[in-house]
Amino acid sequence: METLALLLLAFFTFGTLVLAGGDLGVGMLLPWLGRTPTERRTVLAAIGPFFLANEVWLVALAGIMIGAFPGLEHELLLERRTAFVALLAAWIVRDAGLWWRSRIEARPWAAACDGMIVAGSWGAALALGAVLGPVLGGGLGGVLLAPLFALLLALHGAGFCRLRLTGEPLDRAAPLGRYTVTTLALGAVTVAAGLRLDLHEMLAEPATLRVVTVFVAVMLPLLVGGQLLTRWAFRRRVTGPGYL
Amino acid sequence: MDGTVHLARLQFALTAGSHFLFVALTLGLVTLVALLQTRATLTHSELHARMVRFWGGLYVINYVMGIITGLVMEFQFGTNWSGLLEVTSGVFGVPLALETIGAFFIESTFLGLWIFGWGRFSPRVHLAMIWVVALTAYASAFFIMVTNGWMQRPVGHVMENGQARLADLGALLTNPTGLLAFGHVLFAALLTAGLFMAAVSAYHLRRNTAENEFFRRGLRTGMLTVLLSLMPAASFGGVQFDYLQDTKRAPLVSPLAQAGEVLMLLSWQLITFLSLWFLVKFCYRPRRFGRVFLLTTMAALPLPYLAMISGWVYREVGRQPWAVYGLLRTEDAVSPLSANEAWLSFGVFVPLFAVLVTVNFWLLFRHARRGPQSADAPHAEPAPLPVPTF
Repeated sequence: METLALLLLAFFTFGTLVLAGGDLGVGMLLPWLGRTPTERRTVLAAIGPFFLANEVWLVALAGIMIGAFPGLEHELLLERRTAFVALLAAWIVRDAGLWWRSRIEARPWAAACDGMIVAGSWGAALALGAVLGPVLGGGLGGVLLAPLFALLLALHGAGFCRLRLTGEPLDRAAPLGRYTVTTLALGAVTVAAGLRLDLHEMLAEPATLRVVTVFVAVMLPLLVGGQLLTRWAFRRRVTGPGYL
Repeated sequence: MDGTVHLARLQFALTAGSHFLFVALTLGLVTLVALLQTRATLTHSELHARMVRFWGGLYVINYVMGIITGLVMEFQFGTNWSGLLEVTSGVFGVPLALETIGAFFIESTFLGLWIFGWGRFSPRVHLAMIWVVALTAYASAFFIMVTNGWMQRPVGHVMENGQARLADLGALLTNPTGLLAFGHVLFAALLTAGLFMAAVSAYHLRRNTAENEFFRRGLRTGMLTVLLSLMPAASFGGVQFDYLQDTKRAPLVSPLAQAGEVLMLLSWQLITFLSLWFLVKFCYRPRRFGRVFLLTTMAALPLPYLAMISGWVYREVGRQPWAVYGLLRTEDAVSPLSANEAWLSFGVFVPLFAVLVTVNFWLLFRHARRGPQSADAPHAEPAPLPVPTF
C-alpha cells in the first residue's frame, strides 16, 4: 500500500510539473513568442483547451498530500511558507489574467492581462523552484536551483509551443524547446525530490492511507481517460486566436 | 498568539466566504445550463441553444473565481492550520482527498472539454460533457459538506495519542450534519442561480429590447427554479436543528451567529414573498410583467447571497470556540505563526482577493448587461486591433 501511495504521489507530482509547469513556461515566454496582441492571443490559444485539465493536477496533488502524506504537507507548506504564499499569489494572478484577457476588447486591458500572465508565470515558476530547491540541494545550492528550475520550465513551455503553434511564434519557440528532453528533466526532478525526502515518515496512518490510495487507484483510469480525451480532441496545431 | 488566531480566522473566513458565494452560483447555474442544453439538444430549439451560450458564458466567468479561491483555501489548511491537520488529518483529509480526485479533477477536465468543444463534438456528446460537469460538481459539494459536517459533529473516528484516526468510513460519509447540509446547500444554490437568472432577465425586460422572448423565458425559468427550491432548502435547513450544537443555542450562542440566523430567515421570507408574487402574476397574465415587479426582482438579487452568507456565518461562527466540535479548539488548530508570518499571508491574499473578486463581479455584470448577442459567437475572431502609431 505504501509503495502504491508513493507511486501515485510521484505520478501526480510529475503530472503537475510537466502539464501545469508547461503552461507556466508558455506564460513566461509570452512577450518573446508573441510580438503583437493578436500573436500573443494565438500563443495563449496553444494552452487554452488544456489549461483547466492541466491545473487540476496541482489540486489533485494537494488532495493526495493532505490525505496520504500529511507529513509532506507539513514539511512543504509550513516550513516553506513564504515560498508557498508567493506561489499561490502568483498562480492566481496568472489565472485571472488568462481568463480575463479576452473578456474586454481594449488594448490597455489586454496589455494589463498580459502583464498579469507573464509576471504570474515567472513568479509561480520561481516560487515553485524555491519550494523544490531546498529539497533537491541544501544550503546555497538550494537557492541557486530556483532560477534554474524556472528556466527549465520556460524551455519546457517553448517545447510545448514547438508542438502546438504555427507561423512566426513557432519559429521563435522552435530553437529553444525540446519537449521530450525537458519532460525527462522534470521526471528526474520528481525522482530526485522523492529520493531526498523521507517520505515513509510522512505517510498517513494505515486506515486513512488505504482509503485514499485505493480510491485514487480506482479513479485513475477515469482521470487519465478524461485527460487523453482532451489531448485527442484538441490535437491540431493552433493557427489563430481562440477563446482565451 | 491570540492576535494570530484572529488574523488566521479572518483570512480563512474571507477566503472560504468568497469561495462559497461564487461556488453557490456555479453549482446552481450548471444545473440550469445543463437542463437548457438538454432541451436545446432534444428539440433542436435555436432559442434554447442561445440561452445555453449566454447563461453558460456567465457560468464560466463565475466558475473561475471558484477555482482561484478554492486553490488558496485548499493550501491554507497546510500553511495556516497545521494544528488542525496534525490532530485530525487522518479523518479530515479523507473527504478532502476524495473531493480533489473523485470530483474536482473530472469536473474541471470536462469543463475544459465543454468550453472549448463547441462544434468539435456531436451535440449529444457535448451535452453529456456538461452533465458530467454538473454531477461531479454535486459530488464535490457532497465531499466538502462531509468535511464540514465532521467539524460540526465528529463521527467515525477514534482518538489515539492525541490524534484522530479513521475508524468508520461509512459513518463519516453518512454523517447527518454533512448529508443534510449538502441537501440544504444544493437547493440554496439552485435558488441563488434561479434568482440570478430572473434578476438579469428582469433588467433586460425592463429595457424592452428585441430580446424580450429570450428574457421572458429566463424570468420564467429562474422564478420557477426559485419556487421549486424554496421549500426543500428550508426543509433541509430545518431538520438540521435536530443536530444543533449547544454553541448555537442560547445562552452560549454569540451575537454574530444569532444575527446570521435571523438574516438568513428574513432573506428567505422576502424571496418567498417575491416568488409568490410571481406565481400570482404568472397565473393571470403570463406574458406581461410590470415595472414594479421587474424592479423588485432586480433589487432582490442580493437576497440569496445574503441568505447564503448569513447562514454560513451562523453555522461556522456558531461552532466557535471549536474548530472540530468538542475535539479541537480553534486556538489549538492554528499554525505556530509569528505575527509577521500571519500578517504576510493576510496582507498578500486579502487585498489580492478584494481586487480579483471586485473585477470578476464587474465582468460578470458587464457580460450580463450586454445580453445574448455578444455571446452568440463565442469563438469569433477578435476585431483587428488598431495598428499603434508612435
